[in-house]
Amino acid sequence: MRIRVVLASLLGLALGSFLPPALAADDPIRIALIEPYSGPLAAVGRDALEQFEFYADRINEAGGVLGGRKIEIVAFDNAMNAEKTTQQLRKAIDQNIRYVSQGVGSNHALNIIKALQKYNRRNPGKEVMFFNHSAVTTSFTNKLCMFWHFRFDHNVDQKVAALTTFMNQDPDVKRVYMINQNYAYGQSFQKAAHRYLKERTPKAKLVGDELIVPFGKVLDFTPYIAKIKASGADTVLTGNWGPDATRLITAGANAGLKVKYYSIYAGIPAAMNTMGTKVSTFTPVMQITESHENDPDEPEWLIGIENDFMKKYNKSTYADRVRIMFEMIVKAFNSAGSADPAAVGYALEGANGRSAKGEAWMRPDDHQIHFPMVVSHISEDVKRPFIYNGENYKMAYKTDGWIAREDMVLPSSCKMKRPKK
Amino acid sequence: MDILIFSLFNGILYGMLLFMLSSGLTLIFGMMGVLNFAHASFFMLGAYFAYQISKFVGFWPALIIAPVVVGVIGAIVERYGLRRVHKFGHVAELLFTFGLAYVIEEAVQMIWGKVPVSYHIPEVMNFTLFSLYGLEYSAYRVFMLLVAVSMFVALFFLLTRTRVGLIIQGALTYPNIVASLGHNVPLVFMMVFGLGCALAGLAGVLAGNILGTEPGMAIQLGPIVFVVIVIGGLGSLNGALVASLFIGIMQTTAVSYDVSMNGFLNVIGVQVDFDSAWRMLVDLTVAQISPILPYLLLTLMLIVRPRGLFGVRDV
Repeated sequence: MRIRVVLASLLGLALGSFLPPALAADDPIRIALIEPYSGPLAAVGRDALEQFEFYADRINEAGGVLGGRKIEIVAFDNAMNAEKTTQQLRKAIDQNIRYVSQGVGSNHALNIIKALQKYNRRNPGKEVMFFNHSAVTTSFTNKLCMFWHFRFDHNVDQKVAALTTFMNQDPDVKRVYMINQNYAYGQSFQKAAHRYLKERTPKAKLVGDELIVPFGKVLDFTPYIAKIKASGADTVLTGNWGPDATRLITAGANAGLKVKYYSIYAGIPAAMNTMGTKVSTFTPVMQITESHENDPDEPEWLIGIENDFMKKYNKSTYADRVRIMFEMIVKAFNSAGSADPAAVGYALEGANGRSAKGEAWMRPDDHQIHFPMVVSHISEDVKRPFIYNGENYKMAYKTDGWIAREDMVLPSSCKMKRPKK
Repeated sequence: MDILIFSLFNGILYGMLLFMLSSGLTLIFGMMGVLNFAHASFFMLGAYFAYQISKFVGFWPALIIAPVVVGVIGAIVERYGLRRVHKFGHVAELLFTFGLAYVIEEAVQMIWGKVPVSYHIPEVMNFTLFSLYGLEYSAYRVFMLLVAVSMFVALFFLLTRTRVGLIIQGALTYPNIVASLGHNVPLVFMMVFGLGCALAGLAGVLAGNILGTEPGMAIQLGPIVFVVIVIGGLGSLNGALVASLFIGIMQTTAVSYDVSMNGFLNVIGVQVDFDSAWRMLVDLTVAQISPILPYLLLTLMLIVRPRGLFGVRDV
């Protein structure tokens, strides 16, 4: 008897879930954010979610989009498992969500792109849009490009090209040693570095090129430090992140190795905290980002937003690209006058947004964003030290120079098929 | 010649770090027959405790207190967990420690968060003691070496030269006879497990600030300690020492030499076609494969001599 009741109610539930919820004009526009919220990289995923909710709240407080519709962020946990990302995407689509976003891990982004290529072809009129906020594999806006993918971060090739552009102006750079992680991302960094060192830093001599087994497998970096020392290098160019970056730099500082590190991720806030002020500032640890809080030319409006973020989460901001992304999306919704992904996609093509220094621009040909980037090093001598969950790291970034948006432009091999307008 | 001396010296430094990490594990296995999967987690606990304690009272008290606390936790785990599963055999023990590793990792994340904590080398030890071929060696590295060496000596004497060591060894081989002589065998087991965990904790205190203290550190470290104790011979303290030093020197040497199979083939006059699939394989330098060398050695060892270098029974 009881079983029958349970079954009946289950059946009712199942039937109910098949009925598509009625779509009203004032329903919120939902964006699924698929990131790791559990497992070893959960902190990265949660930080991203916090940022998303922060900007969604701001938009909603200012009246939402399309004359009053709210933005709602729906979190889906992939536990850093790429298979699970595909499952969660399916779940989001089942809930009639038309916009997904992701950024932590290019293999996850690749799964979303592959799944959406199929789904969108088979379900015309119900297409799902992918806003990629941080996955940087170059092919996403080249060979693998599609109309339903927009990237709001520069790809690996662009970042390496920008770093090498800057390195050419740096009088300290003469002999460069490369050290990278032996997997897809590290290899693409290495390939790009070979190419752009030749093109953009012709004055430098490459004196070493090393691939290491990635993800914390190397415990002792001293032998690598000995090799760098023996090569006479004054600069280390590396795509390493996580323990592979912090252990390298820590081992170097402990061995008294005075080189400049040029990197993308070696100086991210978590790395800074792992290494401590002594190691982080022993020798210049340089990185390239879209902005940072201690840049002397930071515009007032951006400082205002950063202060609001600090008030709400007791944290400094780091990835300003998420803000750029939200501002551009809102504009696209309003100018398209519709929440339909195809219309929004067309509105985003060639659209502009405000970056910390000048305009951001979404290139229509391959849906790759372009904005100026800043090269900085870690320093204790800063006005606004980095704060994470109330903990003061007693250091932050100091500007060395800017790379103009024109220098971020690279050719793309993208041939995009577009939907009917 | 320079590279040789450097490899030897750095290899010993690194090898002794590996020994510190694995000595507790081999002790527990040799004495109790328990393969403790949570060993690296106790190492992680040591690092986190040291971070927390050194925030309040400084590094030196932490160096003593943290391993003791980890040891006490280990003893409690043995008394109320492991002892109960013991009667169900080795598989149950294995599964128990396997699950324990996850419990500890989650607990660490709940208490200290998911991002790395700032645990650093103590200021008084952060100066250059000497230079070797242009590389500076800090006093801290040498201090670590000294601690590791004294750890080995102390353990060796404890187990072979003292009455306590005699009872421990006796209790492990003939528990019933030792018990009927009036000794408390379960207590001995608890002490051994606690000591093994304390050693892991001590390694955590000393290495946490060099390797980085984060929730993922246990997982990263898990495999290498098993390699050390299998190559050295399960349960053999001397074996663990020799295997650690061997792996340390081997890895340092491998990284230092950029020799590839292709270079060797060229010398003997064999050319491999650039487009051939073999090219990628022969182009690999010893430096690139250095981190997998220990695992290669592990599989070879299991094929040729399953009991390891100094082991007395097969794996």
